[in-house]
Amino acid sequence: MRKNPLLRHPWGLWIPLALAAALLAVVVLAGQLAPYDPNAQIFPVLSAPSPAHPAGTDQLGRDLLSRILVGLRTSLISTLVLVAAISLTGAAVGVACGWRGGWVDGLLMGISDLFLAFPGLVFALAIAALLGGGLQNAVLALAVVGWPKYARLARSQTLSLKQAGFLDAARLAGDTGWQMVRRHILPGIAGPVLVTALLDLGTMLMELAGLSFLGLGARPPAAELGSMMSGGRSLLQTHPWVILGPGAAIFLAVAVLNLLGDAVRDRLDPQNPADETGDIPNG
Amino acid sequence: MMGPIKRICALALALIALGGCGQSGQQAADTPAGETAFVLGDISFSSEHEEYGVDPHVGYSGWACIRYGVGETLFRYTDGMEPEPWLASSYRLVDSCTWEITLREGITFSSGRALDGQAVKECLEHLLQVHDRARGDLKIASIAAQGQTVTITTTQPHAALLSYLGDPYCCIVDLQAAPGEGLAVGTGPYIARAVEQDRQLELERNPHYWDGQPGYDRVTVLSVPDGDTLAMALQAGEVDAAYGIPYASYPLFQNENYVISSTPTSRAFFATLNLRSPLLQDPALRQAIALGIDKERFVEELLGGNGYPAAGPFPAGFTAGGPAPQAPAYDPQAAQALLEQAGWVDADGDGVREKDGQRLTLRWLTYTSRAELPLLAQAAQASLGQLGFEVVIDTTSNTQGVLSDPSAWEIYGSAMVTAPTGDPAYFFAAHCLDSSPANSGGYHSDRLEHLAAQLAAAFDPQERAALAGQMQQLLLEDGAFVFCSHLQMSLIAQADVAGLAAHPSDFYEITAALAPVS
Repeated sequence: MRKNPLLRHPWGLWIPLALAAALLAVVVLAGQLAPYDPNAQIFPVLSAPSPAHPAGTDQLGRDLLSRILVGLRTSLISTLVLVAAISLTGAAVGVACGWRGGWVDGLLMGISDLFLAFPGLVFALAIAALLGGGLQNAVLALAVVGWPKYARLARSQTLSLKQAGFLDAARLAGDTGWQMVRRHILPGIAGPVLVTALLDLGTMLMELAGLSFLGLGARPPAAELGSMMSGGRSLLQTHPWVILGPGAAIFLAVAVLNLLGDAVRDRLDPQNPADETGDIPNG
Repeated sequence: MMGPIKRICALALALIALGGCGQSGQQAADTPAGETAFVLGDISFSSEHEEYGVDPHVGYSGWACIRYGVGETLFRYTDGMEPEPWLASSYRLVDSCTWEITLREGITFSSGRALDGQAVKECLEHLLQVHDRARGDLKIASIAAQGQTVTITTTQPHAALLSYLGDPYCCIVDLQAAPGEGLAVGTGPYIARAVEQDRQLELERNPHYWDGQPGYDRVTVLSVPDGDTLAMALQAGEVDAAYGIPYASYPLFQNENYVISSTPTSRAFFATLNLRSPLLQDPALRQAIALGIDKERFVEELLGGNGYPAAGPFPAGFTAGGPAPQAPAYDPQAAQALLEQAGWVDADGDGVREKDGQRLTLRWLTYTSRAELPLLAQAAQASLGQLGFEVVIDTTSNTQGVLSDPSAWEIYGSAMVTAPTGDPAYFFAAHCLDSSPANSGGYHSDRLEHLAAQLAAAFDPQERAALAGQMQQLLLEDGAFVFCSHLQMSLIAQADVAGLAAHPSDFYEITAALAPVS
């Protein structure tokens, strides 16, 4: 297995970080960057891209650039909230299982296995449909199916750390269970959980957009990339900019988030040193 | 020499190729050599539209029965939506409650049974037993049959009876035949052989059809609820013709490879206001909603000109509906003034008005199988939003389920044919009266009930039109409905298909005239 050649460069971490910062800036400044009110139906419908409307207008006469910028903000904030929720919840469950063992481990891992037994997106679709659509419910549906992966990861890391000699030393020094978890287990699992969360950002953004595309996410008139693509579906051949604009925004956001995840993983993974060749030892 | 990975790839490609051949072979096997086949894709052939099969006595399945050439009615509608004899050859009004109808000679059902008075009597009597809407519309007290004559006695003078006998639920089918669930044996150019609800209908040529030789040996009707999918299927040649292509996709078919047949219809996009909602019991709110929807913009920009702004339920030029009512024009200032007078103000400055602590929130229910309905909802959301309404759109295919709970919605945006029988009484009977099966808004007006009774008894066309005009105006004055536009209906076919013509009734599609271009 070889690392991404781009990431081998000494700037390999900084380039994705700069791109991610730019993305973050768009999220923060979307309201100021948008040239028009994203919901205002005041322009000629289906205008091709022009200097006045660089991304064109949609079938309701709304400026698409404004909607893409605000939609990107909606999608990214939702994704960040989602990934933060599932990684923290999953990690907490995993640490509890790994540290306590016994019936707690059996019960929570049994529940986790139950969730993992279903195809994730299909299960999320069913939950979102049951909850009645809307972006909050879509995030909730994906969170319900997303946490077990983190629980499994945190549990295995906790079990591994529990065998380490430094915990015996901590115990002899009089640390309580909570102190050992806080001082030794949580810092130990933070790296793998963070890397997994960063690599998950792109996937979750697409899954959230997918639910919106299917009508189970953002509701009109909210600008959200998936629902914008769904709304422009019938115009792909006649007015392609209506669907290509939000599609390109999803592509760029996912690419940046994946690059960031790769770069951080390569930096944080102790078994993945950035050597001259970029090859993983014994990889 | 080939490595193992290359061998696996080659094998996979070969399997895919063989699979593709198999599929083509299967398709070819479906149509024996020398036979002609036609595939129609239709967005409306689905349980969502209460079309479960072609049995005209079930829900709205009569529409499928007549649309796809299985059944025929005693009377049909001319291009001007006047009833004219079809399976009937003539009729006579004996007295104000008695109609004598003479049937054509020499017509047989596809089962081989001759069409006579007894067959018609059996069919209509069964319809009256099982179909609430038909029972309410037809008002039949008794039916007598003798030879080729059927005598129908109504419970009250019923001037529109002939129009209702042309409604698709009145397709005359052979009740002694047992074609299977969802199927029916009619007199039309095609015989229904198999139906899978929400999937497809298989038809065969009726070799004994009485009015010409049907042009295809086999016809398949595919249920395609998504208009975009249907457009792509037509482009790919998977269907020979399509009903329900979104207007936005029309430019793809405006070339020499396709034939488009269009006609204005009485299908209207309209909003039903839920008068059982505590919010909408305030007449000022209902009037403000009517003033706040920009119909002109909806038609010109969002429908791309494929429609006409509506004043009332009936399209302009439908003389039987009487004079066009005076509908409120788009006037946001007047709407805002009405809201202010009614005490709805935006006290907290969030853009949504409140009154006594209640936000001015409307839940707009609609569905997607008419692709432009969600656009109407969003256009109304924006224009009403400027007035201080918060409009929450609920788009679902389960509209009937939501409609049955009056506390779950305020406005229902739908697209319905308002005069499919060519008679104005249809719309009022279906949507506006206490006895109406589709009066989902719970509208009641003593005056409308009185006018409807008068309309039912009026035989003079001018008197009927005048009454219908008054009834339309009453609906608007009460703010029970907002009529947005009437549609132009189109059928789009491949260029090698002839005889597929759109009809103003919206339900004569597959006829004996449909044939491959020779």
